[in-house]
Amino acid sequence: MVIWIVILVLVLVLLWPDRGLYVRWQRRRRLLSRQAIEDALMHLHQRQHERRLASVESVASMLRIGTNDALGLVQRMEAQGLLTATGDGLRLSPDGYHWALQVVRAHRLFERYLADETEVPMEEIHARAHRLEHTLSVADLDRMDAALGHPAFDPQGDPIPTSTGEIPAMTGCSLVDWETARPAQIVHIEDEPPEVYAQIVAAGLGLGMVVTVVEATSTRLVVEADAVEHVLAPVVAANIWVHEAPQAAPGRPVERLTTLTVGEQGRVTALDPMCQGLTRRRFLDLGITPGVLIEPVMQSAFGEPTAYRVRGALIALRREQSDWIWIEAKGKEQ
Amino acid sequence: MAPKPPSGHHCESCALHAHLVQMGIQVDDWDYVVGLAGNPNVGKSTVFNALTGLKQHTGNWPGKTVVRAEGGFEFNGKRYKIIDLPGTYSLLSASVDEEIARDFILFGKPDCTVVVVDATVLERNLNLVLQVLEITDRVVVCLNLMDEARRKGIDVDHRALARDLGVPVVPTAARLGEGLGLLMRTVAEIIEGQTQTTPHRITGNPDLNRAVAELVPLLEAAYPGLPNARWVAMRLLDGDYRIRQALESGELLRLAGAGQSPERKAEEPALSLEVT
Amino acid sequence: MNEGQLDNQTMTAPGPATAREILARAEALQRTMDVAFRDKIVESIYTDAEAITSRVVRQQGSRYAHLDQRIDRIVTSKVWGLPLMFVLLAGVFWVTIVGANYPSALLASFLFWVEDHGAALFAGAGLPWWVTGFLWHGVYRGLAWVVSVMLPPMAIFFPIFTILEDLGYLPRVAFNIDHLFKKAGAHGKQALTMSMGLGCNAAGVIACRIIDSPRERLIAILTNNFMPCNGRWPTLIMLATLFVAAAFPPSLAAIAAAGSLVLIVVIGGLMTLLVSALLSRTVLKGEASSFTLELPPYRRPNVLRVLYTSIIDRTLFVLWRAVVMAAPSGGAIWLLSNLQVSGQSLTDWTSGWLNPAGHAVGLDGVILLAYIIAIPANEIVVPTILMAYTSAGRMVEIDNLAQLQHLLVGQHGWTLMTAISLMLFSLLHNPCSTTIWTVYQETKSTRWAVVSGLLPLAIAFLLLFILNQGIRVFGLI
Repeated sequence: MVIWIVILVLVLVLLWPDRGLYVRWQRRRRLLSRQAIEDALMHLHQRQHERRLASVESVASMLRIGTNDALGLVQRMEAQGLLTATGDGLRLSPDGYHWALQVVRAHRLFERYLADETEVPMEEIHARAHRLEHTLSVADLDRMDAALGHPAFDPQGDPIPTSTGEIPAMTGCSLVDWETARPAQIVHIEDEPPEVYAQIVAAGLGLGMVVTVVEATSTRLVVEADAVEHVLAPVVAANIWVHEAPQAAPGRPVERLTTLTVGEQGRVTALDPMCQGLTRRRFLDLGITPGVLIEPVMQSAFGEPTAYRVRGALIALRREQSDWIWIEAKGKEQ
Repeated sequence: MAPKPPSGHHCESCALHAHLVQMGIQVDDWDYVVGLAGNPNVGKSTVFNALTGLKQHTGNWPGKTVVRAEGGFEFNGKRYKIIDLPGTYSLLSASVDEEIARDFILFGKPDCTVVVVDATVLERNLNLVLQVLEITDRVVVCLNLMDEARRKGIDVDHRALARDLGVPVVPTAARLGEGLGLLMRTVAEIIEGQTQTTPHRITGNPDLNRAVAELVPLLEAAYPGLPNARWVAMRLLDGDYRIRQALESGELLRLAGAGQSPERKAEEPALSLEVT
Repeated sequence: MNEGQLDNQTMTAPGPATAREILARAEALQRTMDVAFRDKIVESIYTDAEAITSRVVRQQGSRYAHLDQRIDRIVTSKVWGLPLMFVLLAGVFWVTIVGANYPSALLASFLFWVEDHGAALFAGAGLPWWVTGFLWHGVYRGLAWVVSVMLPPMAIFFPIFTILEDLGYLPRVAFNIDHLFKKAGAHGKQALTMSMGLGCNAAGVIACRIIDSPRERLIAILTNNFMPCNGRWPTLIMLATLFVAAAFPPSLAAIAAAGSLVLIVVIGGLMTLLVSALLSRTVLKGEASSFTLELPPYRRPNVLRVLYTSIIDRTLFVLWRAVVMAAPSGGAIWLLSNLQVSGQSLTDWTSGWLNPAGHAVGLDGVILLAYIIAIPANEIVVPTILMAYTSAGRMVEIDNLAQLQHLLVGQHGWTLMTAISLMLFSLLHNPCSTTIWTVYQETKSTRWAVVSGLLPLAIAFLLLFILNQGIRVFGLI
């Protein structure tokens, strides 16, 4: 009797639809093979981008598998019409190129999603997106794209291919080539190599920030951002892309809402472009939109949150949130 | 709030007393469905309780109503089922609450939607009103908390507001039972077609209008009779997952069909949502 | 509306566009915009709202009502804000304890009088002893205990609390102490859900819906248990009265008891923050978070409605649930105590088996057994303990405090440390089954439901073990 129950339970655990071990194992296997193919496609795509050709050996070392396994993989992909093998190396076929672009799209959309809708630290986003990029169908990807508002760039400023495979053009130039004393806005941060990227993140530089090059020599760049000076090595600065900063409203300087003290008043000029996802949507719902008057009314005993009067309602915000809101100070209320 | 207005209080409430039969939750059989929307903490539950005689708890903090409540009342021989939707600031953000409210107003197709607004914070509340007006023209705005507005010296010209919004506006102070009779009469007039509405349309800006104007003809051609093509276009441009799905699955076709028939009374409200 | 010019591509397509084509068009249009469409739409809605408001609203005097502003200055002041909060909390407890004492005793003596007569009636009718025992001394006595112990404090606690709620004071509390929650990676609104938890944890868990960011909401759900609910108040109040108040002169007894309850709530609050911090830095790291808190204007509560809603909706609702749970549990206790195996009752067997674990954390086997039986409803913990202690095999009457003290201290060796351990265990242990089920309902996740049950239990055992062993090792008591 007990034996039968045990066997029944085991069989159920194994064969349960959707959740049974067998189904899971199958799914995992399929995923693994999809992941292998997609990783190989990405590798070929990257190589082509660098105007080099991939080989079975380079595929093997990139995917950390044996040469025999890599050969098998390449042969399978060739049979599927994803690549063509010639004497000098491996080339993507049009189908392969299209698929590769979809993987790039998935990766960058996931990065966008992680940056906007979660609190995953910026330096972990790339690795997480890499794990997730193989999990969605094209239809799901389209939905995610739409839900994110069809973003054109990922959090590092890399263009996200459209569903039809077009790649939005990138503007701007490297910070190294930018002239001194002219305000520039960061539009792209190269996330490879990770060491350099980590340095940029550590310096607190991010997309959308306005920076000014104070001093540029062949060994170092001194960059001012938010009244803080950062010293960057040229190799680091080269990975930061910038374009012309938007002109501040003439006359009054733009500052963060946090700088207002109780009794003063300000007019919102913009929500920081770095503020995305839930927080931005909430701001908009509450009527914190460009042009609105906002006035700190009281501060909590611990120094934050601060309650602001906006459109007649009293809304409490924490410091980092009021940092997202750019205002033009209006001074004391009359 | 007290469901039984004491005699000799407000003339309005006497009339109300004559016509109104509060039905509590016994609403198995109804003629009309009314949705009750509004920002959190605008006294929506108080209005609901006053109409239905139910005593749902109403605390003074936003988001007190966390489960959808249903009740009913009888007015001039017709039975109304009234649904208290979760309080939301907007219908755009796709939080669970907002989705419940949005789905009900759009897909549930209530015979009338009452948007309760706080007269003391009108500007913020209009955000929701203007969104609802894009979805449906069967709207009554309940300008609640008039007592509080008076206390604070805020004077709201409800006639001018009605003119600007293009739908009836009823000033109320639900806590004192003021204005509820008029609210019910107005809802009845909207449902029975005695009041015509010309809902305010979001003015928009050039960029937005250009995009919307391109999509609307496509939607109108594909879904003739769709009552709110402009709003659907805006939601598609915003990447609303649920509306995309409705488009892909053909649910929108059903909506379009329903919008065409002038005789909607016989139709059961297509309500298929569960509060989890 | 602007005139739209149709795209060539769509004009040439014969017939109406398909869903796919419309979506593709929407995507293409969206890409032509410089800012997200959402920003544009909300901005233009608010532009309209502003225009309309400026036409229809006339403002006399200040934009912000002076009275509200003056109240806010005091309630959220750097000096008075926090003390006021604690004084209010202690005041509510004090009124509850003092006010509930007399009605509780009255109710108890009446209900137990009914029991005696009912049992006598049954016995007189010649029914077998076990029918009388099971129905009157098991099921009925369980009910009587729960009603007499729970009804008076709830009928006082809930209305007072509801008034605070209606006034608009609670969001100010959230505003005052949000900084602490922020440090713990949680949301200030959690203070609101915690105060709901003081009434009933299941209600507190549902109230977590007001927190709109997923991470903070989950944290609030998982830690709500650290606010002692109504079912646990009787245990805490009894211990506070019996052990804490007894250590003070009679004139200070009630204040001391109320103070010890505030202390328990403060410890619960600290645990909440600690566990919240732990969760937000480990398993919930990376979940989305956001913070906005609206402070509504103050409103005068409608006292009649407050009484009605708090007594009908809350008090009777919670009481009814307790009654439904207590009746079968009362029966179960009676059975366990009266079924004999090898000359010992089942109660003795199981509590003997649980004794080592109980002693390790400053309690005993009987108390642990009571907590197992009380998984459906915490209310019946004390009656179960008392019943297991008395050889009569049924719950004893509580109309006499001295008698109770004699039973616990004299016969079963309870010390102040036992009382402290039990108060802490009552505060920290696993939530009742209704709450766990509610967690499942709210999160739709078995994993979080299991965590919400096991995490507090593990913390309770760990903390009490360290406390008791520490004291034993250092020989403090």
